[in-house]
Amino acid sequence: MNPEPYLQLDRVIHEKGRLAIMSMLAASPELSFTELRDALGMTDGNLTTHIRSLQETGYVSVAKSYQNRRPLTTCSLTAAGRKAFREYVNLLEQIVQQNRPK
Amino acid sequence: METNWAAEQLQTIRTLMERSAVYRRALAPIMLFVGFVGVLAAAIGFLFHFDSPSAFEYLWTDAAMFAFAGAVIISRRQAFKAKEPFLSPPARRVVQAMLPSWLAGLIAASVFRLLAVNDSQLFWWLPPIWMVLYGLALYGAGFFTPRGIRLLGWCFFLSGLAALVILAIKSMSGPLPPLIYAHYLMGFFFGVLQLVYGAYLYLTEKGKNAA
Repeated sequence: MNPEPYLQLDRVIHEKGRLAIMSMLAASPELSFTELRDALGMTDGNLTTHIRSLQETGYVSVAKSYQNRRPLTTCSLTAAGRKAFREYVNLLEQIVQQNRPK
Repeated sequence: METNWAAEQLQTIRTLMERSAVYRRALAPIMLFVGFVGVLAAAIGFLFHFDSPSAFEYLWTDAAMFAFAGAVIISRRQAFKAKEPFLSPPARRVVQAMLPSWLAGLIAASVFRLLAVNDSQLFWWLPPIWMVLYGLALYGAGFFTPRGIRLLGWCFFLSGLAALVILAIKSMSGPLPPLIYAHYLMGFFFGVLQLVYGAYLYLTEKGKNAA
């Protein structure tokens, strides 16, 4: 078995919580902090921590605005984040293909 | 074992992506248009005395078709503007969720047309049945749209049920009012209520326009 694809998996995305955030954002132009929190059942603190590390890696951008006079935080994938996510999924597919019985 | 893990991981990603891809086209213009058609149909029905069962049925099925066509055009324009496919996966899911109830509404109209061609008393049952079915359609669609649509679905569903109960009680105690008053019921729910909801969306939607 070729271990290479597994070793190439992006460690930032590989974490369960961050992968969930990336997956949600990959299918949507943007999602609010509340939408992400409710959909993933995370606590505010947990979600903030994950988003911060994704933001620091340059995978997620965070925008703050106001809606109905309430602060609104929206998250979206950056181009780099989209590319990293696509590569991560491709590697997973390679692993599946590689180990499929012939 | 690693294959299982990778396959499970891919499945999780797919599920999360599907859950995230909700229908996000701006619903305010669609609701406002559909509500406007409802009010207009009720006004036409009342002012021009569409009080025979067949006139009532034709007016409202035509209004429904017109509203549907308008909604398709509005949402197509939004998709075109956003350079996205009109029938995106979430849009397809919304249509699939609403389709059974729409068809049931059309079938109900045809059945009433056949059975109650001259019986305006019997025709009174059609509006609440349409309300219940429309409520179910909105409720189904609400799983793939922002949450408010499901609430509107509940509103139609419960009001339709209440109207059915009231009709049942009234019909036991005497004849029902002339069919022309059913335009009030239709106009209020399919017109005013949707206009109000559309106005609410207009004021609160953040100009989102992506499927």
